[in-house]
Amino acid sequence: MQILSFLFEKHLEKTVLAVVMALSVFMLTRSEESQLNSARAVSSFLLYPVDKVEEYFNSLEELREENRELREIAVSLYQEQERMNQFRSERIRLRRLLEMREDSFFEFNACEVISRSSNRFHHSLTVDKGGAEGIRVGMAVVGYRGLAGRVTQVFPHSSRVMLLNNKSISVSCQDKRSRVIGILNWERGNLFRLDFIGREEDVLVGDTLLTSGLGRIFPQGFPVGTVFRVAEDRAELSLNVGVLSMMDLGILEELFIVTGGRDWDSDAVFEQLEAIMSKDSIRGM
Amino acid sequence: MYFVRTLIAACVVFVLQLTVVHRIAVGGASPDMMLILLVVLVLDRKPVAAVIIGFLLGYLQDLGNASFLGMNALAKSLVGYCIARFGGDYLPDNVIFRGVLIFSACLINDLVVLNISSSFNPFDVLTSFFRYSLISALYTVVVGILILKLLHLLPRRMVRQGGSY
Repeated sequence: MQILSFLFEKHLEKTVLAVVMALSVFMLTRSEESQLNSARAVSSFLLYPVDKVEEYFNSLEELREENRELREIAVSLYQEQERMNQFRSERIRLRRLLEMREDSFFEFNACEVISRSSNRFHHSLTVDKGGAEGIRVGMAVVGYRGLAGRVTQVFPHSSRVMLLNNKSISVSCQDKRSRVIGILNWERGNLFRLDFIGREEDVLVGDTLLTSGLGRIFPQGFPVGTVFRVAEDRAELSLNVGVLSMMDLGILEELFIVTGGRDWDSDAVFEQLEAIMSKDSIRGM
Repeated sequence: MYFVRTLIAACVVFVLQLTVVHRIAVGGASPDMMLILLVVLVLDRKPVAAVIIGFLLGYLQDLGNASFLGMNALAKSLVGYCIARFGGDYLPDNVIFRGVLIFSACLINDLVVLNISSSFNPFDVLTSFFRYSLISALYTVVVGILILKLLHLLPRRMVRQGGSY
């Protein structure tokens, strides 16, 4: 107590000066790396509000740019939709004339990837939609460009998706051009092999593969990959067909779960699109 | 409110020190704006507050160049102490003595900084001291007196009791 009284009452000035100088010398004697690290930490703490404001304004600029691009896309899609509407009506009319059965197109549930499996040979990920949102085991999962995998486990608000780059997944595929059917199996990375293609079958480099819908595991018509290698193996009766996946399966962030089919006659999606477009045009006036 | 004003002033001066000061350098000598701010802030303060203000300003300056983290903090806390202990109460309030005060503060600051940055090599210290420090100190005095004059022209409510901002 006497020491404290001596230091902080009688010689407060000198004590504070000594403490501050000792602190400065302590900072000076640390290694250069730890000096830089601590300076970086303090700077980032002090500049955090500035960074946040800067980030906010940068994101505004990005959003504005993205919004402009999306408007351009929306305009072209609107025109495309008008054209498709005519085709749709014509298709329905022709199918009725031919007395063909009713078919459907797909309904999607958008989801985000919330975690990835760390296993090198069992590639799977978890998405933020589950049973409560109508997700069921076995549903196909697609990305913007094509098939990504299928749901293997469902929890109330999340689901586990097994990706195509698994040894245990095989996909029945069809060549979009020649309609040749084969079984797609994973080799490594984003590379696959199309098996059971006879030597006389018509498969060319650059052909697009779609899901065939056979076996009813994956719905028909989703792009899966592009043929990048067709080689004849003398020892084998089949062609050696290499396929590059449409999706980069290593960097998936947003996916769509195919939750079911919708009748071609249903106008829900078009009504939704028209509502968005009319809202946009009102805003633009 | 005073604290916020001081903080804003410190940040503005720090940014000026990093961005503008090297552009107005004459013969390699440039004014030390942080030192002028320190003199303005601690002139009529008690030594404890002066040491802490000096340490914080020096540390802020060190963050701009972290290879000698603590060097300016040490120098400025020592200078702050000296100004508060021997400056404000003993020196008359006129331009010449304020100039002498800033000049002395610059030299003390530079002596500490040069010793640390040259690892206490007397030859390097003396060379740099006579080559740059004296001119820098004179330059700082000129800029400092201008700033002190400007502060005296401010309305009284923006100037603290005793003249410091």
